[in-house]
Amino acid sequence: MKKRGNILTENIIFIILNLVFFTILILFVFKQGAGAIILEQSYAKQIALLIDSSQPSMLLKLNMEKAKKLAEKNGIPFEDVVQIKNNIIQIKLSKNSGYTYSFFNNVDVSPPYVSEEVYYIFSINNYNQNE
Amino acid sequence: MNKKATDKIISVYWFAILIIVAGGIFAMVYAFYSNPYDSRELEANILANNIANCLSYKGSLREKIINDEGKILLNKDNFLKLCNLNFNVEDEYNWKEKEQYYIQISFYNVQQQLISEEVFAGNTGLISSCEIQEDNEYEKLAKCIERRFYTLDKNQNQYLIKILSVVRKTEKNVK
Repeated sequence: MKKRGNILTENIIFIILNLVFFTILILFVFKQGAGAIILEQSYAKQIALLIDSSQPSMLLKLNMEKAKKLAEKNGIPFEDVVQIKNNIIQIKLSKNSGYTYSFFNNVDVSPPYVSEEVYYIFSINNYNQNE
Repeated sequence: MNKKATDKIISVYWFAILIIVAGGIFAMVYAFYSNPYDSRELEANILANNIANCLSYKGSLREKIINDEGKILLNKDNFLKLCNLNFNVEDEYNWKEKEQYYIQISFYNVQQQLISEEVFAGNTGLISSCEIQEDNEYEKLAKCIERRFYTLDKNQNQYLIKILSVVRKTEKNVK
């Protein structure tokens, strides 16, 4: 009877350890793909390419739901996630990170704003006058 | 060897296999996500498209590009302004001192003769990247895209326009 009890305990511990192991592995894979650094880079480049392809009077609408979730988790207001200064885009999803990328289309972009909770709106005005 | 000892050896092997599998997955995930997204080819394509749109509209050269006498008005001094381009980049990796873009436009007649000086802007040092990559592509060099198209002027003269668009930005697109 005692021997049977030992086998059962060993098996349960073995199964629990396996489950813990695979859970950690899966969490690691998901966390890597949704990290601030990856998302910041991806959104910055996406926005830069959108603006590069745009023309005056266009309105660009980008779904940034993933960015919103992560920013709020990290204590960054969603309204402060995207900033555009001259022709440089800055995305900030955590207090210790941030990513900048430039676009070459010489358009004047109004300060981006949030719409329908998860969308960012980029309004393309006229072309800038080169110095 | 009794059954209990055999079971222990099997579980040791099992954990060894788990560690090897985990190590492999960690290594693959790390290698995949630590590489930045390479958007340079897309950027170079968009740049070439923007320039083509700037030069020609509905198959005809725009008035700001060529005058009635057939003289090309575009030159390296007015190119960026006429085509609404801004080659300023973020001040990282010493990029402010080395421009990250290069553009070269050549105008040919139907006999494939160059009809005006080549118009260029940006970092001329990037042309060498395109020459090196004629046969093989190297990730760490700038991305080059060449586009060509035919267009007409007001007097229905045909022109062949070649656009070379180069984007570097290596540090932010390649590990």
